[in-house]
Amino acid sequence: MSDPALGLTMLALIVVVIMMGFPTAFTLMGLGMFFGFFALHDASQSWTQNHVFDLMVQRTYGAMTNDTLISIPLFVLMGYVMERGALVDKMFYSVQLAFRRVPASLAVATLVICTFWGIASGLVGAVVVLMGVIAFNPMLKAGYDVRLASGVITAGGTLGILIPPSVMIIVYAAVAGQSVVKLYASAMFPGFFLALLYLIYIVGWALINPKIAPRLPESETKVPVPAWVSRLQQAYSRNMLLTLLRAVVSPARALQIEADGVRVGYGMLLKNLLAAVFPLVLTAAMSWLVWWYVVIHQQATVELDTPAPAAVAQKALPPAANEPPNVAADKVEELGRDQQSAPAASSSDEELQQIGSPELLKGGPATPAEQGPDTSFYIWFWISVGGVFALLAYYYWRLEADQFEILKLLTSSVMPLGILTIVVLAVILFGITTATESAAVGAAGAYLLAIQAGTLDWKRVKESVFLTAKTTAMVCWLFVGSALFSAVFALLGGQQLVEHWVLSFELSPVQFMILSQAIIFVLGWPLEWTEIIVIFVPIFLPLLKHFNIDPILWGTLVFVNLQAAFLSPPVAMSAFYLKGVSPPHVTLNQIFAGMMPYMVVIILCMVMMYVWPGMTLWLPNYLYGGG
Amino acid sequence: MKVQRFLLLVDHVSTWCGKASAWLIILLTAAVCIEVFKRYLLNAPTAWSFDADYMIYGTLFMMCGAYTLAQDAHVRGDFLYSSMKPRMQAGLDLVLYVVFFLPGIAALSYAGWDFAHASWLINEHVNDTADGPPVYQFKTVIPIAGTLVLLQGLAEIVRCVVCLRTGEWPKRLKDVEEIDVVEEQLAHSEYVDEESRKRALESVHEIDDAARQRSSTMGAER
Repeated sequence: MSDPALGLTMLALIVVVIMMGFPTAFTLMGLGMFFGFFALHDASQSWTQNHVFDLMVQRTYGAMTNDTLISIPLFVLMGYVMERGALVDKMFYSVQLAFRRVPASLAVATLVICTFWGIASGLVGAVVVLMGVIAFNPMLKAGYDVRLASGVITAGGTLGILIPPSVMIIVYAAVAGQSVVKLYASAMFPGFFLALLYLIYIVGWALINPKIAPRLPESETKVPVPAWVSRLQQAYSRNMLLTLLRAVVSPARALQIEADGVRVGYGMLLKNLLAAVFPLVLTAAMSWLVWWYVVIHQQATVELDTPAPAAVAQKALPPAANEPPNVAADKVEELGRDQQSAPAASSSDEELQQIGSPELLKGGPATPAEQGPDTSFYIWFWISVGGVFALLAYYYWRLEADQFEILKLLTSSVMPLGILTIVVLAVILFGITTATESAAVGAAGAYLLAIQAGTLDWKRVKESVFLTAKTTAMVCWLFVGSALFSAVFALLGGQQLVEHWVLSFELSPVQFMILSQAIIFVLGWPLEWTEIIVIFVPIFLPLLKHFNIDPILWGTLVFVNLQAAFLSPPVAMSAFYLKGVSPPHVTLNQIFAGMMPYMVVIILCMVMMYVWPGMTLWLPNYLYGGG
Repeated sequence: MKVQRFLLLVDHVSTWCGKASAWLIILLTAAVCIEVFKRYLLNAPTAWSFDADYMIYGTLFMMCGAYTLAQDAHVRGDFLYSSMKPRMQAGLDLVLYVVFFLPGIAALSYAGWDFAHASWLINEHVNDTADGPPVYQFKTVIPIAGTLVLLQGLAEIVRCVVCLRTGEWPKRLKDVEEIDVVEEQLAHSEYVDEESRKRALESVHEIDDAARQRSSTMGAER
């Protein structure tokens, strides 16, 4: 048998053995070992000196020193701590109250919580079960359509694997040699866009046919207002902001209030005032951050650039470049030794350029972010700031006791988690620290938040640590196995054969795009995302160059695609999770029927992403420049 | 029963090593956070900090390989597998453990031993940075982790044999699972009605298993 034929046998075998259900990491290792042993067999040496052993240990060591994978345990830890620290049912309750005047408010609240949870962690099963208990029964009780209720939970639950910081994106970055940060930036848009499309779909359906989502009765949406707040309102004014401000300035009347055994103290007033002005502070801080990043930070960098480029290179490097250049050099060396195929060499060149040399990065054309803002930015910035502050003014004007109670609930349940994730993502995206550093700070922050929320105990610390260890080991051992497997596959020339074969069809880029996404979609039925990204995606990657397809865009499409695959009946796991917690009268078919429209929405989203790639690539290009 | 004791003993060894190494994640978090503080706020970066970081990470995941195997937490394409009878599963697993697992992991341990040995002999240090930290101890992790996984793999093979004879999978050590977060969340919930909470708490693990097998028998029984 010729070498390339051996390579193809290897590929066929891996598919068969994976379907047999053996742990994939060891399948890859074993197959790689066998085929590598024959490929590298040299009759002049004893078999114990076969080079496959060197290859194996080198590839393993490569995975152990991989500077992209290192952020996996940190992000995973952050997720596990957050999902233990956050109070999901309280979040759901407060969000649902906040949206109580929106059509299909319970479904909207479910979607919001799922999106939030998606930011925190990427576990599909747990979120579907949890939302099934917290939200499904209330929705059914309120008379919601079963399909609407089940669809929103299953579709919302799978969002978690897409929305950054997601482990899937890191693994893809490591496989494709792309920057994690760029992929995060490009996945931001589809993640939240998809959530928005779901939202439009739910609200639109509820508006067209109000019967499917009846409004909750007044008694269920009534916000409990503590007696002392009402008394305070009577003493000062109806508007809570004015009330609290005046109470803080002249507390004499407030301090006399005593209701239901609660004695109003000055500290209490201050605390409530802080909660009341929280949205204002948050909006101001966000606007200032955008202003600082676009105007002040960039101009300071540009000014510094001329006299002392070295200093700037230190400061303005995109995160991936903070790693020592030698790591990249090492990697190139290693790849060069292990793989003789052309695509590997070219991809390692790219990697070198991307990671290794600040000079190259600075030498290229300045990113749009570095060129400084043009006038349209100022116009848009002030219009949006004006709009947001007008909304806030309206909100404060209408702020009465029940609104204020909702605000307090929101600030105590949703805000801490929200702020932590926004900070972690912003710090990564703005290139202030590397993804690894942000992940570590995020994990530490998650612990602090959990302590502050009073939900952290020794048992949970232990659980989060052990779960992190298991998940990391699962992903990284898979990576060790596939590193050996793909090296041997390329060595045998299997990769080249596949390439020639695909190229012989003379597909147009659109056809190739559709074909590759369709294959991945089908693979998504029986397999988990880890196996797809680590084993099958690398086969497509070298082909992207022939078709002039941006690996960032293609990768982002894969992430969205897998969402659809995980929602397709009859293999979607989330449907079975939901069925497990739902009352007996809900049938599996009803759940599947509920999921179908969301698949259509996802495919719509993919078409839009392909037709207007600018939507996906705008953020990464804006922040880090084209290419 | 001697076999069961052997299995649990191996499980204990793997789990203990894995759990001990799992705590490295806290060390890694702390190390990176301290470095962030030093680099960005004090402007005093440490040259060897990145080397230390990946060494912690590499040790962490390698040493947890056997623990993960002991918990059967390595990802498998369980679409068909999970709907098979235990005997069928065990038969397939047994063959594949012998054909793929043993040679692969044995080769890793053997090659890792040479790799580490050579590193010790030359007293190897990281050569990316001047005064780099030593790497021989880090490279030694490969043969140690390989041997642990090999040992656990032998236990898994014994498990398959036991299952082939009795038709039932021998027990594993109990450990935290991802789905446990549901219990944690619901235990503290204030806004969920008592009945659905109790029902979910009782059946959460069965729901997890059933969903993995893509079967809805769970719900139909009730």
